[in-house]
Formats: sequence, C-alpha cells, structure tokens
Amino acid sequence: MDDGELQAESGNGSSASDRELNPEVASKQREVQFKAAHGLLVAFFTFVLLLHIGGISLFLSGFLLTRRVLDEKSKCSESPLYVEPSAIGEHAAGRGTYEDGCWHEKSFDKAVIIVIDALRYDFAAPYPPSSASVSLRRPRHYHNLIPVLYETAAQQSGNALLLPFIADPPTTTLQRLKGLTTGTLPTFVEGGSNFAGAEILEDNLVGQLKTAGKKVVHLGDDTWTSLFPGHFHPNLSHAYDSFNVWDLHTVDNGVTEHLFPLLRFQETVSGTEADWDVIIAHYLGVDHAGHRYGPDHLAMSDKLAQMDEVVRQAISSLPNDTLLVVMGDHGMDPKGDHGGESDLEVESTLFLYSAQTHFGTPDTTLIAPPATARERDSTGRERSVPQIDIVPTLSLLLGLPIPYSNLGKPIPQAFLGRKTGKPDWKNLAEVDRITAAQVHRYHVAYSNAPSSVTKLSESVQEDHKTDDEVVPPTGDALDTLWRKALQRWKAAEKHPNQDKWREVAETFDDYLSENLAVNQRQWASFNLPLMYSGIFVLVGSVLVSALYARGAHGNASGIAPPLLLRGLLGSLSGSALSFLISGLSPLSFLFTCVFLAVSGGIVGITSGLASLSSKIPLPASFWGWICFLSVLLPCISFASNSFTIWEDEILLFSLVTSGVLLLASSLRQRDPQDRAIGTLNSVVFLVLTRTASLSRLCREEQMPYCRSTYYASATSSTSSSWQLAIPWLATVLLPSVIRYFYARTKNYNGSAIIWIGFAFRIDLFLIAMYWLSDAADDGDWLTGKSLYGTINVGKDTLKTMRITIAQVVLSVAFAAGYATFLYASPFISVRTEDPAPELTGSIGFDGQTSTATTTTDIDVNTAFTTITPKPKPAAKPKQKLIILGYANTLGTHYFLLPTLWFLALVLLQKPMGQGTLSLLLTQILCLLEILDANSPSPDHTTHSDEEISPITDLRNSAVGPTLLALLALFHFFKTGHQATLSSIQWEAAFVPLRTIRYPWSPLLVILNTFAPQILCAIAVPALALWKRHPRLSQMGLLSDIARDMATHMLVYAAVAVATVIEAAWLRRHLMLYRVFMPRMLMGVVMLGVVEVVGIAVALMGVRTSIGSVKVVFGW
Amino acid sequence: MAPDTESKTLQSAKPIELLHSQPSLFFANLQPILLLGTVLFSFKSLVADPVRTLLGLAPTIAIVQAIYCVVCLPSTGDVAAPTTKPGQKKKAGKPGQDIWAKVIPTFLSFTLTIVLSAPLLYIIVILFGAPLTTHHLHTLLFALHLALLTTPHLYYVHGLDAPTWLRLASLQQPIDESYGMSLGACVGAWVGAIPIPLDWDREWQKWPVTVVVGMYAGAVVGKLAGGYLFKGWKIKLA
Repeated sequence: MDDGELQAESGNGSSASDRELNPEVASKQREVQFKAAHGLLVAFFTFVLLLHIGGISLFLSGFLLTRRVLDEKSKCSESPLYVEPSAIGEHAAGRGTYEDGCWHEKSFDKAVIIVIDALRYDFAAPYPPSSASVSLRRPRHYHNLIPVLYETAAQQSGNALLLPFIADPPTTTLQRLKGLTTGTLPTFVEGGSNFAGAEILEDNLVGQLKTAGKKVVHLGDDTWTSLFPGHFHPNLSHAYDSFNVWDLHTVDNGVTEHLFPLLRFQETVSGTEADWDVIIAHYLGVDHAGHRYGPDHLAMSDKLAQMDEVVRQAISSLPNDTLLVVMGDHGMDPKGDHGGESDLEVESTLFLYSAQTHFGTPDTTLIAPPATARERDSTGRERSVPQIDIVPTLSLLLGLPIPYSNLGKPIPQAFLGRKTGKPDWKNLAEVDRITAAQVHRYHVAYSNAPSSVTKLSESVQEDHKTDDEVVPPTGDALDTLWRKALQRWKAAEKHPNQDKWREVAETFDDYLSENLAVNQRQWASFNLPLMYSGIFVLVGSVLVSALYARGAHGNASGIAPPLLLRGLLGSLSGSALSFLISGLSPLSFLFTCVFLAVSGGIVGITSGLASLSSKIPLPASFWGWICFLSVLLPCISFASNSFTIWEDEILLFSLVTSGVLLLASSLRQRDPQDRAIGTLNSVVFLVLTRTASLSRLCREEQMPYCRSTYYASATSSTSSSWQLAIPWLATVLLPSVIRYFYARTKNYNGSAIIWIGFAFRIDLFLIAMYWLSDAADDGDWLTGKSLYGTINVGKDTLKTMRITIAQVVLSVAFAAGYATFLYASPFISVRTEDPAPELTGSIGFDGQTSTATTTTDIDVNTAFTTITPKPKPAAKPKQKLIILGYANTLGTHYFLLPTLWFLALVLLQKPMGQGTLSLLLTQILCLLEILDANSPSPDHTTHSDEEISPITDLRNSAVGPTLLALLALFHFFKTGHQATLSSIQWEAAFVPLRTIRYPWSPLLVILNTFAPQILCAIAVPALALWKRHPRLSQMGLLSDIARDMATHMLVYAAVAVATVIEAAWLRRHLMLYRVFMPRMLMGVVMLGVVEVVGIAVALMGVRTSIGSVKVVFGW
Repeated sequence: MAPDTESKTLQSAKPIELLHSQPSLFFANLQPILLLGTVLFSFKSLVADPVRTLLGLAPTIAIVQAIYCVVCLPSTGDVAAPTTKPGQKKKAGKPGQDIWAKVIPTFLSFTLTIVLSAPLLYIIVILFGAPLTTHHLHTLLFALHLALLTTPHLYYVHGLDAPTWLRLASLQQPIDESYGMSLGACVGAWVGAIPIPLDWDREWQKWPVTVVVGMYAGAVVGKLAGGYLFKGWKIKLA
C-alpha cells in the first residue's frame, strides 16, 4: 500500500498491473525501461552540449583574432633577395656582414633609444596647431612643454625628424613593445611553441642586436627584461619596477642617473672601444602621471618639462655616429589611461635625430613636422607612420637583418637624405625592395606553415564578403602589386634615373601598405556576422535549457526522448536548409551549416517543450528568486571590470548570504532533528566557506588591496613549509569526515570501509608524500651534509620517485575506485532481532529515527518486492530484520564517485589547493545534509501531526545545483586560479608525466584548472540521491537528477552567455584583453568541461548507482 | 514536543505595537531623523577617520536607541499584560517604579547588545568577507554599530525568550517597527558592500564607510517600512 503510494508520487513508475503478472518479468522489464530512458537522457544532454559547442565555436571564430608565430629568424648572410633570384635579378645591395650592414649599407654604429611611455603626439606638437586657430582654447597643462622635439625638427630638418607614430591596439606597454621590436601586429591568441611566459620568441630587433654581438644597455621599465631575458648588458643595465603607478619619479630619476654618464663616457673616451652599442632608456613618469592625475595636471607639466630637458641633454651629448630615437609607445585617453584604440590612445610620437645630416623629405613643400597627428600631405596621405615601421628602419640603419615577421616599411625620410639631405630615391627604392622581399618571404612561409588556420588570402576573401567597406584587396591583388614592383625595379635598373627610382619606391611602398592592411584586417578586426550568429544561438540554447530545467512539467527524463527527436529533426532540416541558401548567407558554408543546424535544434526542442505546455520559468518562490538573482546578478556584473576583477570576493559574499539564508531556513524546521542537522551543517558550511576564502591568488588588478597566500610569496610559485602540512592534515581528517557523514546514517559498512577508511586514506598519504618530495626537490633538502654524512639524492631519483607515486595515486583512484564503485553492493547491513514487545519507533542513531533505521517486516520469500515500512502492531512472534543504512543507500553509494575523482583532482593541486578542495568536499556533504533537512522526509506521510511536516522543499528547488555551481566558481579562485591566462598552472601537466604527452598533458591541466567545477558537477546527482528512499521509482529519481543536472549546467551556460555578450559588446573597451576576454574564455571552457563531465561521469555514474541499489531492493 | 507550548508560542508571535503616548509618537518619528542626521553630519569625518568617528558616534547612537526603547517600546513584561483596552483608562502606577521598570531592562538590553550581539555580529561580518587580519577596529566598531541598530530594542521588547529568538533568527517573527529596523539595518549593510569593489578611486569606498552608511539608511527605511507598509507580514522562506 505504502509502496504503491510512493510509486504514484514519483510519477512515471510502473503501474500496479505490471506487478501482478510476474514479479520477475516485470522487474526485468522495468530495468530495461530504466536503462533505455537513461541512455536517451544521456543522448539528450549530449545533444544540448553539441548545441552549445556550435554556438561557442561560431562566436569564437568571429571573435578570437589568431595569428601563428613563426620561429624562423632572419640571418645576416641570407638576404631575402635570394629567395627568388630569377625574379629579382642578381643581388645588389646586401653585403652580408655586420660591419658594413647585413642586407643594406648601414648608416649608424650606435643608437640611443629613449622611450617616453605614453608620449602623445599633441604633447610634442606646438599648440595651437596653426595660427588660424589661436582663439581655440587656452593651452592645457600638457601643451608646449616638450618643445625640443618640434623645434629641432623644424629648424634642422636634415638632422631631425618628428612624426606622429600610430600604435596598433591594444595600447598596453607590453603589447606595444612586442610590436616595436618584432614589427608585427598583436593578436590575442598567438599560436606558437611556448605555452606560457612573456618572453618574445618571435624574431625581433633586440634578438638581432644580440645575435650581431652588440652590447645592449637597458634602463627603466622592467617589462623589457621580462620580454628579453638575458639580452641586456648585465652590469650597465638597470631595470625598475613598472608597476607602481603612484610613483612618478623613481624610474625616471634612475634612468637619467645612469643614462648620461654612459653618453658622456662615450664622449670622453671616443676612439677607444665603446662599452655599449645600443641604449634603451624607458621613462615611465609621463604615463604614471597620466594614470594618476590625468594629462591636464601640473604634475604632467613637470614631467614633460623634465623630459624636454632629458632630450635636450641627449641631443647635446650625442656622438656623431649615433642615432637618437625618442618615441612614445602609445598615447593616452583624456583621462590619462590607455589600452584601447581611440585616436588619442594610438597617436604617439616618433623623433629621430642624428648629429650628421641624414634625413630627407619626399615632399619638398612640407618641411615642417606635422602640426597634428592626422595631418595629410599634398597627395592626401596621412603623414603619420605606423609604429611597426620603426623596426625595418632601425634594422637597416644599424645594418641588421630585418626581423623575420616584420610587416612595417622603412620610413622614407630616414633613407632619402643620407649624408646630403637631398632626396636619394635609389637608396629608398633599395631598402623598400629589401623590406618588401622579406615581407614576401614571410607571407609565403606563413601561408605554407603546416597548421596555419587559414591561408591568408583565402580567409581574407571569405571574411570580407560582407564588409561594407571598399572592395577588399585579395591575395591576388597583393601578388599583382608584388609583380608590378619587381617589373618596375628591373626597368629602373636598365635606365636609372631619380623619377624611375621614385616610382619603384612608391610601388614597393604600395605593396607594403597593402600587405599591412590585409594583415590588419585579418588579425585585428572582428567578424561581426559570425559573432552575432554565435550569440544568437547561444542565447537560444540557454533559453531552451532554462525552459527544460525549470519550466517543463512532468518527468524530466521522460520528456527527453521526444525533445531529442524534435531537436535532431530540427538540426537535420537546418543543415539541409544550409545547402539551399548558403549562397545568400553572409557566412561561409561551414558556418552557415553550423548556424542553421544549431538553430534548427533549438527550434525543434522549443516546439517540443511548447507542446508539453511548459511554463515560462520565472522564479515563483523565495528560493527561486534567490537562485535566480544569485546567477543573474553576477552575469550582469561581468559587464563591469571591477566586479569581474573582484569576482572571488563577490562569490564569497554571495555564498555566505545563501548560507545565512539556509541557516535561517534550517532554524525554521519544526522537526527538531531536521532543525539541529540543518543548523549545524549550515554553520559549518559558512565557516568552511570563509576558511577557504583565506587561500588567495591575487591578480595584478587587485593590487594593492590583496595579498596572495596561495604560494610562499607573491613572486614564487612554490609552497611555503607550513603549507606542506595541509596534505597531511587532509590525510588524517578527510577520511574521518566522510566517515562521519556515512556513519550518521549507518552506511559505513562493507566496501565503504575498505574504500574510505583504507584506500582513500592511503591515496591521500601518497599525495602528501608526493608534495613533500616535491618541496624537498625545490628546496634542495636532500643534498648537502647532515649529521650522518653527506646525503645526495639526485634530482632525477626524486623525480622518478614522484612520478611513480603520482601514477600509483591515479591508478588507485581510477582503477580501484571505479572497481569499487561499479561492483560494490549498497552499504547496508542487516541485523536480525527477536521481536521486541513494542515495534514502532525503533529509535536509531543520533535521532535519525525513522530514516536511519527502518524496521521492516519481511516475508523471506518475497523479500525484495514487498518490503512494507509500515509496522504491524499485531504482534506476531516473528523474527525482525533491521536494515541498517537503508535511508541513505542511494546517496552513499553514489558519493563514492565524487571521492574517487577527488583523489585525482587533489593530486594535481598545490598543497594550498588541496586544503581548499578538501574543504569543498566537506562543504558538498554539508550542503547535501542541509538540503535534506529542509525537505520533507520520505516517510513524513506517516506523521499524523501536520505541524511537524517541513515547510520547505529545498531538494526540489534550484538551490542545490545553483549553490554547487557557485561553490565551484568560488573554489576555482581558491585553488590558485584567476580569470587570467597567466594564472594557469601549466606545471600540473608534469605531475604524473616526465614530458608533454598528448592528450594527457592538456587533460591534466584541465583537471587542475577546473578541479572544483569537475568535483561539483560529479556531485550534482548526489543532491537527488542523498537520503532518498531506495524504493522510490527509478524513473522519478532519474527525472530529479536530470532536472538538477540541467539546472547546474544552466548556471554555467548563463555565465558563459553573459560573458560572451559582454565581451562582444565591450570589444572596444580598454580592458577587453585584460579582463573581459579572459573571463569569457574561462566561462565557455568551463561550460564545456562541466557538460562533458556531467554527462560522461555523473550521469553514467547514476546508472551504476541506481542499478546496484535496485538490484538489492527491486526495480 | 508539547503541542501546547508550540501553539502558544505561535500565537504570541504578534507584531509589537508602540506605546500610545505623545512622547512615544514624537520620539518614534524623531529617531530616524536623529540616526540619519548623525551619520550624514559626520560623514566627512567618517571618511577621514572611520575608527575615531565610529567610536565617537557610538555613545550618541546608544543614547538615541535607549531613549527609543524607554519612550516608545513596551518592555518584555508589558507584552504579557495588554489589559488596557483602548477605551479603558490606564492605571496610574507610581511614576518612580515606572521609570525603574524601564531603565533596568534598557540597561540589560544594552549590556547584552555589547557583550553578546556585538561579538556575534563581528563574527558574522567576518564571515561575509570583512578583513580578517587587518582593520580589526574598523570591523569591530562596525559590528558594534550594527549591534546597536539591530538588537537593543529586540532584547528590550522580547527579553531572552528562546522560542522568540528562534523565530527572530529564522525570520519568522511578524514584521513590526523594531524588527523591521533590525532587518533593514542588515539588508542596508549588505547593499552597502556592493560599491566597495568598484574602481572609482573614491575615498569613501574604503572599509567600512559604505556599509555603515548603508546600514543606517537601511535601518531607517526598515523601521518605516516595518512600522507602516509591511506591518504584521511574515517572511516566507519557501
């Protein structure tokens, strides 16, 4: 009777008539039914995963600007002119030695490069720009304060050159220095050989200087030393911390202090061998003044005046054979910040000076330097030069080979007026030809590179079909220009005269400009149609998920098959449609197909849901609103860089808020047992959350309000010695904690003892050993002398030992763990008892009363089909069987799965992360208990007293899955990660392996990075299984699990979609590359990982758990 | 579990009425002005030196709250004897006894506030993410102010009756003016934490200025809302 009630309650069970036929046949039937339903559910979730992947890949292919880094380096002896000797003719200019100049005759032996960070062009240009606009406005605090540049360039046009210097966004110093030394455009993803690390591996100016044996002195901003470690003269170089924006003077004064003695030394001992060849002096004061005060401030005036003095001194003490370069790396916006691509941010300044006459001008009518950054010459071209042009210019002037991937072109003025100051077009034509040949060589190499995503010319054609700009230049157009230039060169060689050379130079110039434009379009522009279509389908798929998870009526696993069918049909018709209309679509065929297939799938599922009369899933209850808001608010707040930066603290705040509300809800429970358990676990949950929050890894933007505790110090990535105690503590405590939760419901029996008390503990011990030996290795503890003589355990021995330990840990976790999980019978024990005079209310352990031990009256023959929890007061003298651990049979069996994965995940964490992951596991258990305490107990119907029945049903709400997702996000930050690429712990790949091996190494990094997400996703089914009646219908359980899992994934999907939309919306924001894009990438990768784990591990585990319990208690 | 006591405590969960007297009405309306006024008036110094300001303000706030208890609220014992019907004339008790019957519970309420509520709230504030290793005084004084705004009137009105406090802690007590003020202060402080992470570089974003202001604003809003708009409501936590 009771049994039937339970079945009916949970919906889609078997009908009573089934059972009347033949218990065994019916049972078998139900088992097959369950397995089929389960399989279809997995298929449905996989289909949704594919929809998400489709949407994400559409968006990312439009959003991520990718470029492949080629490792080739230009060599002095290999002039690019030899690439196609037949086409170019015999070599002419390159002499092939550093003494004379590699590819072209060199003009200077030495160079002094002064970088004034954030030197905007209007700082250097006179104000007001022309006499006509005198009445414009009074000068600002940044006007006319560094006049030396303009004055010199205007008065001695043969010796000096001042030009606007246009940066390529992002205008951050690091990206700019890359551009200024390699001559390429920055993109976000630079596919190359290096996993992490800032060092520039691409061919670059500084590297070429080093190869040439030049002594390079670096002074100032330490970004240089991280980009070019080991490239600078160790004794003379002085790097300063670039981070402290509040300090305007330390760096500048330090640079000045060291710069001028070097210059003067040169002067006094000229003739003897010089101590340096190139000085790079990087001043930061102007930038810092901009950040701190904004440009229109007295501090900026002082700073600019100081720079004026520096340049004047440098000019006056400059040796003859030395080139002086003064340049800004970017500009600044009206507030003094930079990073974006607004005009003011990209308009920087370039000033070249030589004591000898060197500079010419292509247009004799325009001798004065440009008055504004965007001034045009008589032919209508802008007079400004792109920043990357400095790369070939400097290379050729100093007689170095042009860096291999350079896209810049020589600045004409620097090659036109050599020695005489009169235009020498032949010289310019020569350097243009060399540069163009190198660019062409790069172009060919890039197109032929094995894994280059798309051939340059093809993809350009494809991407710009829809661009509403002028007809795009294609690869063919480039080729045509290239051939034309070569022909003109040949013609000019036969009949040389200045006009011909000028024509040649201009043609090569055109080729180079065109090539740059093509590359810029490919690498630096977003493909909006792709992005929008990606966003469109992502939003659609999230709405569908929401409808399924929270809106659909009925059995969530039962409705999966029809939804899947409709979805598949929709996808198929969508892809079929793409064949018809691909010509009309703005996207390429592949993307059109993906877009239509995903849209079709969404439409299909929506139609299915609509036919089931689903309601719009708006929150209806208090907890519904809490869940809704605790996901919606973060989603909105990701549009703010501050909230994104401080996400870890905000998650703590929101988790504690939920915890406090859970505490209040637990205190409301009228059943004293529920109240006590709920309250206790809520308090523990709160305390553990705050304890975990003590583990922090700060991102750069959080400084100075954050102190990292994850590693021994802010500048190391090793653990301090006290942190090594954490794994040992976990070894001692964690198994006992889990045992406590198991023992509370008398489920600490059988395989549970072997797994948790034995295997789990040993594995934790081994993990602690691993990290101890790791620390010993790092700290060299085992080398050197001790009381017992010299001990010297080789590093290699230690490494071998560690790798062995790690592999043992993993094999115990997966082989032994999964074996236990798959084959262990439920953790119950049976006790026989003589009938006591009173049969009701055999009070169990710690007041779990009726749930912990259920007294059942068993007729042995039909034992497993007719257990009736109803005590019979009619006292028959019959033996009584007590099943211990009946109440939580399902939950405890399933929870083996999170524990075994926990071992693998924890092995890959640093000791601090192991501590927080252990806390996470405990928190999950607390959460399970809290939710159970706030839900009706399975036998509440037997209570006659209605007052006692719980007033909340948290198990059927979205609280569990939502909180698990928030917990996972929180612990992501607590395991030493941040939403930045630099916080990825690549070294995790080497825990159980010696070298990089595919696919294991990337998998290990994923396991390290998303450990909390993986653990929580695996724990989701436990929400529906923990302390659930083992005789509940398997279909009802599966439905609950499906709904929880869908809700859990919905949280991640919502975050992913929100960050995707915000990244697209804020794609011109100056924090895009630092804040929004990394967060977006994290969001989408997390969604994928959680869905894959949720399907492949959690849902598959459910089948095992329910199966093994039902085998005992009957299907 | 005795159903008797259960139903009894359930029955007694009624919103608290203010005393019906002229001074009571007057001060009940003056109190929000005093609270908000004090904080707004000292806002500049709060930003400049939170510790000194909060310390200096604490006695003022305590006195305002104490007067509010004495003048406006029925003390624990009074609730049980609401024998005076609106029309009935009040018994003229001895004025001396009256005062002591109010002052002693007030004194006890504030003692409990300081020794019990403030430390407990300190812990809760820390749980919510307040700095653990620095800013001890800031946090402690904030907790003290939070305690002053949330608990003395509750002690004064409800005493230390365990079922009542269980209802208060689990948000089951029907909303009235004093409970509304307590909840409002908590919600206000919660909201006040939101602007802290923003990168506006304002001096007032520092701990605990925003939460203090939010707390006072919330207390006043909560008091008014609890006294008029939501009077008698019960929070549903389902």
